[in-house]
Amino acid sequence: MLASYKLLKQFVNLDGISPSEIANKLTFAGLEVEEVSSLAQATNLVIGQIVEVVDHPDSDHLHVLKVNLGEKYGVEQIVCGAPNVRVGLKVIVARPGAVLGKDCFTISKSLKRGVESNGMCCALNELGVDKLYLRDEQINGIEELPEDAIVGNEEVLEYLGLDDVVFDINVLANRSDCLAIYSIAKELGALFDREVNIPTPIKYDEIDSNITCGSSTSDCPQFSIKVVKDVVTKESPLWMQRFLMAEGVRSINNIVDIGNYVMLLTGQPLHMYDLDKLQGNNFVVKNDYEGPVVALDEKEYQVEKGDLVVTNNDIPVCLAGTMGLLNVAVDDKTVNIAIEAANFKGSTVRQTGNRLGLSSESSARFAKGINPYQDEFVLDLACQLLVELADAKVVSKNVRYSTLKGNETQIECSVSYINKRLGTSFTREEIVNVLTKLMIKVIDVDGDNFVALPPDHRIDLKVNADLSEEIIRYIGFGAIKSQLPLMPTTTGGYTPSQQKRLKIRESLIAHGLNEVLTYALVSPKMSEEFILLNKDESYVIMNPMTVEHSIVRRGLVSSVLDIVKYNLDHQQKDLALFEVASIDTKSQHYEELVVALNGSKSLRGSLEKRPYDFYDIHGILESILTILGIDKNRYKEERLTDSKYYHPGRSTKIMLGKDIVGVCGQVHPSVSKDFKETYILNLNLTKLLELRTSQVKMSQISKYPSVTRDIALVVKENVFAGDIIRTIKKFGKSLVKDVQIFDVYQGEFLEEGTKSIAISIVYQDDTKTLVDSVISETERNILDALFKEYKAELRK
Amino acid sequence: MNERLHQIHELALEELSKVSSMEELQNIRNTYLSKKSELMQSMSKMKDLQGEERAKFGQLINSIKMDITQKVEETRLSLEEKKLQEKLAKEVVDFTLPSSDYTKGSKHPFNLIVDEVSRIFIGMGYDIVEGPEVELDHFNFELLNVPKGHPARDMQDSFYIDETHLMRSQTSPVQAHVMLSKNGVGPIKIISPGKVYRRDDDATHSHQFGQIEGLVIDSNVNMGNLLSTLELFARSMFGEKRQVRMRSSYFPFTEPSVEADISCFECGGKGCKLCKGTGWIEVLGAGMVHPNVLEMCGFDTKVYQGFAFGIGIERVAMLKYGIDDIRKFYQNDKRFLSQFTKE
Repeated sequence: MLASYKLLKQFVNLDGISPSEIANKLTFAGLEVEEVSSLAQATNLVIGQIVEVVDHPDSDHLHVLKVNLGEKYGVEQIVCGAPNVRVGLKVIVARPGAVLGKDCFTISKSLKRGVESNGMCCALNELGVDKLYLRDEQINGIEELPEDAIVGNEEVLEYLGLDDVVFDINVLANRSDCLAIYSIAKELGALFDREVNIPTPIKYDEIDSNITCGSSTSDCPQFSIKVVKDVVTKESPLWMQRFLMAEGVRSINNIVDIGNYVMLLTGQPLHMYDLDKLQGNNFVVKNDYEGPVVALDEKEYQVEKGDLVVTNNDIPVCLAGTMGLLNVAVDDKTVNIAIEAANFKGSTVRQTGNRLGLSSESSARFAKGINPYQDEFVLDLACQLLVELADAKVVSKNVRYSTLKGNETQIECSVSYINKRLGTSFTREEIVNVLTKLMIKVIDVDGDNFVALPPDHRIDLKVNADLSEEIIRYIGFGAIKSQLPLMPTTTGGYTPSQQKRLKIRESLIAHGLNEVLTYALVSPKMSEEFILLNKDESYVIMNPMTVEHSIVRRGLVSSVLDIVKYNLDHQQKDLALFEVASIDTKSQHYEELVVALNGSKSLRGSLEKRPYDFYDIHGILESILTILGIDKNRYKEERLTDSKYYHPGRSTKIMLGKDIVGVCGQVHPSVSKDFKETYILNLNLTKLLELRTSQVKMSQISKYPSVTRDIALVVKENVFAGDIIRTIKKFGKSLVKDVQIFDVYQGEFLEEGTKSIAISIVYQDDTKTLVDSVISETERNILDALFKEYKAELRK
Repeated sequence: MNERLHQIHELALEELSKVSSMEELQNIRNTYLSKKSELMQSMSKMKDLQGEERAKFGQLINSIKMDITQKVEETRLSLEEKKLQEKLAKEVVDFTLPSSDYTKGSKHPFNLIVDEVSRIFIGMGYDIVEGPEVELDHFNFELLNVPKGHPARDMQDSFYIDETHLMRSQTSPVQAHVMLSKNGVGPIKIISPGKVYRRDDDATHSHQFGQIEGLVIDSNVNMGNLLSTLELFARSMFGEKRQVRMRSSYFPFTEPSVEADISCFECGGKGCKLCKGTGWIEVLGAGMVHPNVLEMCGFDTKVYQGFAFGIGIERVAMLKYGIDDIRKFYQNDKRFLSQFTKE
């Protein structure tokens, strides 16, 4: 909302209060002033009159002028390029030293193609006025002042009505009443304790009206019409044009301008109908009309059930609150007008506007909510102006339909409540004083309790908490003393799951991985890929901004792969990325972890590198399971051979019972052409975090020496080393303390389809020193088992 | 006889002085100290001597032997030292070459803020509560005093899935979940970090962004407590000297509502580019929980009051790290991410 300082001053006494004080006060009271700007910026101006025009000897468009600047400055020579210079014309002259416009353009004495020029004749845009408000000829030439302009007058901005300051106020949703100059004036009056003077409109003689009006829907609780006859359409007076300019509205003609001006003052949108184009006298607002209409912009719109439409004798005449219809539009030839001031339900107006792609100052006001109790005042004000500025001769009485009864809100409150809420110790007098200034009536109940009656325009005040805000924003938040809460002591902290999740993330970071953050809304394609942990249906966004972000993802892998691809596309190699993010699908809410490795693992910068392989990603899996405290016997890991997204030989799945809770391996070469070998770890972190794990209990370290013996086996290549280790431990019983694979070989010295595995076994007895015969016997048992189970042979 | 011994002694010392290798030293040792050496052999001549002469002769041989032995040992040590020095002189590393890779990776700046804010509030006894990102309209709006028809519910602002489900547009619904789970019994002290979604996209707005919501409810919680809590937070996050000021604002679920500014940590409040010359930076929104919200969530407003606050995660990260475009958080360029290694 833009508010003109000069306009405000008409309605509230602001003598001695600077614009910056006003901006500051309003901002802290909840009406944030985002910008304070001048309507025009210019110094060293004077009104002059052209007394001689000679063509510049060295130019086809410049003129050399002699301009009379009055007694003080005399006649000066000015070179000017404007096409509209002529002898006798009164003009705005910027003298040397003048600083003009927002860009601070400085005027100095100069030579223009060899001819001396002592100043500049100005157009209004050169004084900082937005071209939006000017006619073409005002922009292409210099400003032509009226004949009665006084030569030598140096208060040029004042003369032009441009000596104004504009506040750009961010009006928040609860204070839609402040989308009105009158309301801002009332706020200022209260905040600065100054007198507010909002004049009651002058009523001229009124005739009875033959118009009737009503509404068939509760979405329009109030609708009023007033008729004005014999108006003359013409240019608005300068003061009106200037105020509209300050308010950011372009002047059209007196009739349109009056509508806008009244809306800006009061916050009530008006709509005008050409009375002579109406078919009848009966206005009814409906919400069940269906069919096409042609609006003021000459476009056709489809009205649906639920849209509010003003009808006249059953013919639609206005998309209520949004845009008038062409068939009854006011134009240059209009002489008789019906003015409407109504209250339409905000959400309905907004819905219709959104659907049809229409929005206006009016519809925005209805959408935010307007003061519904001032229609008669507003119509009277509009008619007063139409009489005064548009020569209207005949004015009818207001015709009014309303189911509203005035602001009947009563708020029970107390002094102690307000102080308890704010942590203050305001007295009853202080509180009552503030409420009274804000035009809130206070009725005493007892020493502490009172009842507050808000004024009509404060539809936002409903409960006692609202009053506490009024008090503190008026007195200022500086009155609140900082004090720590007196509450029972709480330990606070992460839940065990949150703690583990943090440990996992910090461990991955310590291992050199970069954490990423991706979008939860993905494209339909991404939502179908790499989904192995979640068979649930995705949520689909009804109103996406783009198809790229139209599905709520049901897996995290493709998001992280997207980041891999982005980095590769931007010459970033050797990626080790991870993310933990929550996944929401129709029946699940859980967290996934994804790790992606691509390129090489650096051992010493670029001096020593090796490509990432399966064992890197699998090592990360094992490290995470260790942090989670999940032993190998708690889950099953199996080869993943049947996914089109993962390499059939280099991928595994982690199973908890029948549930797949993790995938670890290489992205299938046929889907990763863009980024070559990429390794992925994808875990359902929530499922793993839910597993109960046991506390660490120390076990004694044996006092007796251990013996290490190595064996080398030849087995079929599809035998898993892990199975061999499990068998060794099983048959070695408690004597086998550790089993390590230290070599795996497959190649020319072995039969095809076989491999050799070299295993180191550590034997130890916790109770005595082991003797050779016991070790040999145990080793025999182990080997027999291996020969039997895996058809293993000792390598020769 | 004695003369010969002195000759041997001199010869040995002269040779030792020229030794340059262990082999040569060994040869000298053999030549002068082995049983077959002239010196040792001359011991046999002792039997030809008698009395004092014999004793003197023996002493002479011994003293020469000891001296040569000592000199040989000294020469050995100096040769070894020389060899070591030569070896060390060859073993110079270029410490500027790449070292073995023990460098840590990086936490995403979004999570740097989440984890840091969590740490601060855990220190004050808060719990961390998280919630789903697909929410019921009822929790995202209705229970937060945003009734049907309120402009904030506009389809233009939120991503809807159907009539009742949407991507949460704020972390505040977690407030409602927590309050309802408490069955009207306080106290509550939580913060809730998370991602939220709105239909918005430019240099300072992303359709996905982060918020940290805080909620404190008890029988005696007031606006002064809110102020002191925000001060503690601002000082932990942005430095000891930070001041907090409150301006009146509007949120449907708090009343009074405030915007809280902190004094600029760049210029200390004098005014600079970061704070646009005002000395203050807008960091969070807050207020006293609206009585409608408390009651809808099962709390008796005659007994309980509370405050809530909301912090923009990217906003804080952008201020703290000088990040100029919110989209950088989601591009995840390695060159961007790696900058946070030291945080």
